[in-house]
This record gives sequence, C-alpha cells and structure tokens, in this order.
Amino acid sequence: MTTTETLEAPATTASDSIKGNPWHPTFRGVALATRIELLRRRPSKKGYLVYGITVALIVGLGILVAVSSDEKLNSNPMELVMILVLGAGMLIGPSLSATSINGDSSEGVLAPLQMSRLSAADLALGKLFASWAVCFAALLTTTPFLLYAFSKSGWHFDEMLWVLGVILFVVLAFTAMGLAWSSIAARSVASVSLTHITSGILGLGTLLIFAFSMPLVSEQQTVTYWDHDYEQATEEDWSDPNFSPSQLPCVPTESTEMVTHTDKLAWLLLINPAVVVVETAPVIDVETFQADGRAAPGVFAFLHQGVSEARSEPIVERNFCEAGGQGMTWDEQQRAMGLVKPNPWPGIALAGGILVASMAIVVQRLRVPYKKLRVGTRVA
Amino acid sequence: MTTATLAPPAITARNVSRSFGDVKAVVNATLTVPQGSVTALIGPNGCGKTTLMLMLAGLLRPDGGEIVVDGHSPVTNSGAVRNAIGWMPDQLGSWDNLTCLQTLTLMGQAYREKKEYARQRGLGLLKLVHLEEFADRPTRVLSRGQKQRLSLARALIHDPSVLLLDEPANGLDPRSRVELRQLVRELAAGGKTILVSSHVLSELDEMVDGAIFMSKGATLGEDADAMVADAKTRYRVEALDLAALAASLGRQGIDHEDLDGGAIVRVADEAQAAALLASLVKDGVPVHRFGPAGSALEQTYMLMNEERR
Repeated sequence: MTTTETLEAPATTASDSIKGNPWHPTFRGVALATRIELLRRRPSKKGYLVYGITVALIVGLGILVAVSSDEKLNSNPMELVMILVLGAGMLIGPSLSATSINGDSSEGVLAPLQMSRLSAADLALGKLFASWAVCFAALLTTTPFLLYAFSKSGWHFDEMLWVLGVILFVVLAFTAMGLAWSSIAARSVASVSLTHITSGILGLGTLLIFAFSMPLVSEQQTVTYWDHDYEQATEEDWSDPNFSPSQLPCVPTESTEMVTHTDKLAWLLLINPAVVVVETAPVIDVETFQADGRAAPGVFAFLHQGVSEARSEPIVERNFCEAGGQGMTWDEQQRAMGLVKPNPWPGIALAGGILVASMAIVVQRLRVPYKKLRVGTRVA
Repeated sequence: MTTATLAPPAITARNVSRSFGDVKAVVNATLTVPQGSVTALIGPNGCGKTTLMLMLAGLLRPDGGEIVVDGHSPVTNSGAVRNAIGWMPDQLGSWDNLTCLQTLTLMGQAYREKKEYARQRGLGLLKLVHLEEFADRPTRVLSRGQKQRLSLARALIHDPSVLLLDEPANGLDPRSRVELRQLVRELAAGGKTILVSSHVLSELDEMVDGAIFMSKGATLGEDADAMVADAKTRYRVEALDLAALAASLGRQGIDHEDLDGGAIVRVADEAQAAALLASLVKDGVPVHRFGPAGSALEQTYMLMNEERR
C-alpha cells in the first residue's frame, strides 16, 4: 500500500450526476444485481446434487405415469410434472429468497451495495429474479420430458405455455413473499419459517380451512329426489323380459337434509396455488374428447370438476329416472360441472397482490437512509 | 482541527442526533472535516462513532441536525453523497465464493463503471493493497487482515472524494498498519478527505491532521482540541543525573513535572524542543531520552472524563 499513481479516476459525465434519493429500478441495475446474486449464490456441489435429485424425481415420476398407461393420449404425466414443478418452485424459490436480505445484512455484504449506485428497487428485483431464475432453470431441466409428455397430452401448445406461465408467475409471487419476510425478520431462521408457514397456509391451509369450515355453511334444507315409482311394478312386470323401469312413472320424493353451501367457501379453493394451475388447464368434455382430439379427462379435469361443484349452488333436486322427472341426471351433472368455465383469476389476482405488496415492502426496507431499523439488526 | 483551507469543508455536521428506541446513540454531534485532510474520530466503544459514520454515509437518517457531505445532504440527496463517499465498514463482509477481482469488478460496475474499466481498476487496487496474488482466489481464503485490505480497495473502487474508514487498522499486522498509514496520507495528498475511526491511537497520531473526540454520543469540540494541543506540547526528558536535570531546568526557568527517571516539560514547538535539548546538553546534563511524552491523542483520550457504556 504505497502508491496511488497507477490508478486513474473513473470518468464521470453529467448524465451520471444523481439527485434526490433514487429508489426506482433501471434495467442495468437490475441486471447487475441479478448477476451478483446468481454468482454469489451459485450452488455448491451438494446444492447441484439436491437440484439434480429433485429434477430426477420429477422426471422419474412422470415417466412412471407415462409407461403405466397404454392409452394413446394421456394428459396425466404432463399434469403431474406441472404440479411437481409448481411444488418444487414453491419450495426452492422462497427458500432462497427468504435468506437473501437478512442473510446478506448479517454477513455484512448488503450495506456496501446499498452504498453504491444500485437503487433499492435494483437490489430488490435482482434478488427476486435470481431466486426465481433457479426455479426457472429447474423447469428448463424438465423440458425434454415435458415436451414428450405434451406430445401425448392432447393439449394445444398455447395451453401448455399459459399453464407454465401461470406456474412461473405463482412461483415468482411466492419468491417475492420470501424476500419480504427476509426484509422484515432480523434472523434467517425466522424468515425461512415464516415463508414456509405462509406458503403452507396458502397451499395446504386453504384446503383444510375449506374442509373444516363446511359445518359453518351447512343448513337443513328440503332436497327433492326424482325416481321411478318402483312400488307400482308388479311381480309380473319384473318377470316380463320386455319390462323396463323407465315405463314406471317418475315421481318426486322430498327429504330434509343437511345441505352444505360450499359456494360460499369456494374462494378458499380458488386461491390455492395448485387449484390456480388446475383452473388454468383446458376444459375437457368427457363425451367429445376423442372427437376433439383430446386425451380422456385426467387429474386436472377431475379436480376442475370438483372445484366447479364446490363453486356451484348446492343441488337440491336430483333425477335418478331414466326418463321424465326434473333436474339433471348424475352423468349430466358431472359433465356440466366438468364444462364449467374455469376461474383461475382469484388465485392469479392474489398472487399478483402478494407480488406487488411484497416488493413494495422489500423496496421500502432497502431504501437508504434508513429511518427505522429492524429490531436486533445493525446497518453494518 | 489543525488544517486550515479556503475550500469549503468536505464534511460538516451540526447538532446531529439519532436514537434507536430508548437508546440515544448520538446525542449531539458537531464536526467539520476540511477537504484533503485526514481526521480521526475517537471515542470508546458504544459512544456513537459508527452511528455517526452511517449518518454521514447516507445509510442512516438522523433524527435531528444537519449534515453536508461534498456539498450535498445525505438525507435529501443520498445518491450524490453515496457517489462521493467511499465507505469501509467495521464489519468485514465479502462474497465468499467470488474472487477478489470479481468482487471489485462487480462493485465498480455497481458504481456504473464499464466492466473492463472496473476490472482494470480492481487489478490496480489489488496491487495497491498488496492482494494481487489473491486476485483470482475466492475471498473466503483471505485472513481477517487481508479482508480488511480488500474492504479498503472496495471503498476506493469508484475513486470517491471522501473516505469514511471505520476501524481500518483492526486485524492488520504491524507492517500493514504502517502501509495503511502511508496510503492514507498519500490519498489525502491526492486531495481526498478522510475520516477515520480507530482505537489504535498511536497509529492515528502519525496519520491524522486533526481529531474529533466523542463521548456518550456527543462530540467534545473545542475542549478536546485544547487538550490535544496541550498534549502535543508535553515532552519527556530522562537523564542519568536527576539533580543536574532539575538544576538546569530551574536555571532556564522552565516549569516541569517530576517523574520517575526524569521530568515532563512543555515546549511550544519542535524548534523550541531542539533548543531545550541543546541547552541541557550544554549544561552537562546526561540526557539519555528526549521526546514527546506519548501519543497526544492517547493522552487526550485518557484524560477525558469518560464513563464507558
């Protein structure tokens, strides 16, 4: 440390001058912050091993489902891979982002970057994209199998892209949520726990709350069943090979039963990340799928039918008659539920809300000069 | 402050305060740091030095008071202040899996330097802080002292006009401390303004042009300046014949404090010190040691009526 003569001063221009307390993002700043984050969080050999095992599990399960089906078209392998990619993304992305700010702060590498020309939004978005990029890489790794599964799925290409886009968007929102907890909690262990608790509430908690809240929306109600009046059939009728119960009159029977208004709780299902993905998938008609060039309704179609039932008013009139009577038959009901227009928008809107609110929190927490500090932290 | 200059001060702070909940970290800090000077910020642990530096750097908003750095307020114009400041924190953080050169290149780019330029400047700075052989090695292999030097290089990457060095000598070996002192003086000679906090007061004595003392969250101002000025006049004389020493000083009318093996005298400047030594030798006093009574800053620090918190 003896001489400074070999060092030139950096050239500055008038356009480099800064005024105020800039916090907004720039393309250059976000790209650099992302690059720094990706470089410094480059996985170790053990990390690559874990990612490799995760991807192998996803592809392995998909192949297992693919070979266990001898049907020409089968959408289940692709649907399984999509759900697994969503699950892996919701674990990996938030786990990485949940230590990104408080971890950097306690390691003493956050403040020097805050002192640079990188703005709070540059840092926030850089950290977000870097964590999210790892999930994107996991998705890309599954591409060969995904394309194979797509070729057997009967889906259209734009439908697959739309579902994958929604998966990546949901993962982005959850990654942002992890980042927000990381900016709020002083210790990494707290932010990681809070992130997984929040993910768990939205992923599993919504389903549990839906199930356990059913008694709250149940009430005694009159239900009408239409069925043939079998009592009118004589013994001769039953012994007559030409006799059909459809020849019997279709009569209503009323009974008072506990009816659950799941339509009041259906929003809990619609904000569930997995349901969002299901509701993004194409609608398959159980009667015309072959003519439509589709595979038989798979897991997504089955789940969509269940969600649609939950969204609908309770059925208080059921028709078991082969002919006559009122109300839809069981098969008609099932088909109608399967054809209900999907509604992924509440879930997408929630994910968007989480994304925007989380990033607003993160930018606010990264802006300097600090007005308040997290309890138990130092700036540097 | 000992450096006088017509240029506006690089750093001024007036009645600055900052609390964290009930804890008043900085109660009332007032200071002026002239351009091109090296100024020490001295005080016991927990007296508010780092908090004050963070406010000067634009990382922490003061509750009250005014700060101007390089003509800008860190509160209303923190971007410009951050551009003007090179900051070496007391916490040694580094990106463990990145190399030293990658670290400096990326930091340079974070200050809007072009990549190749930042890389070249990083190489120059690594040479400057004697870490060139570690350029392509990950920072996790660096010792504490080496990380300290990398931190200094990082603070210089964008050629700031003001340097804030928080405990820069911590963890440095004796040779590196001497080199740090030389580097700081060279940077000041090149026009940079440097505010340095340190506990190694003997090192600061030869490095700084002035000092600001802090105690219980407040700067001590003129009282401390007077104490430093007084401490600088104190010379220690040791002789083999104490009676002869006392007699000679008495004949010359020089007040002195007796101490074991010699006396403490006060001289106005180095010329007067030289004249006194010559007169003592001429008087036949067997002087075997003559020099400043010790670090002026250390004496002042010890004299401060300080309660450690």
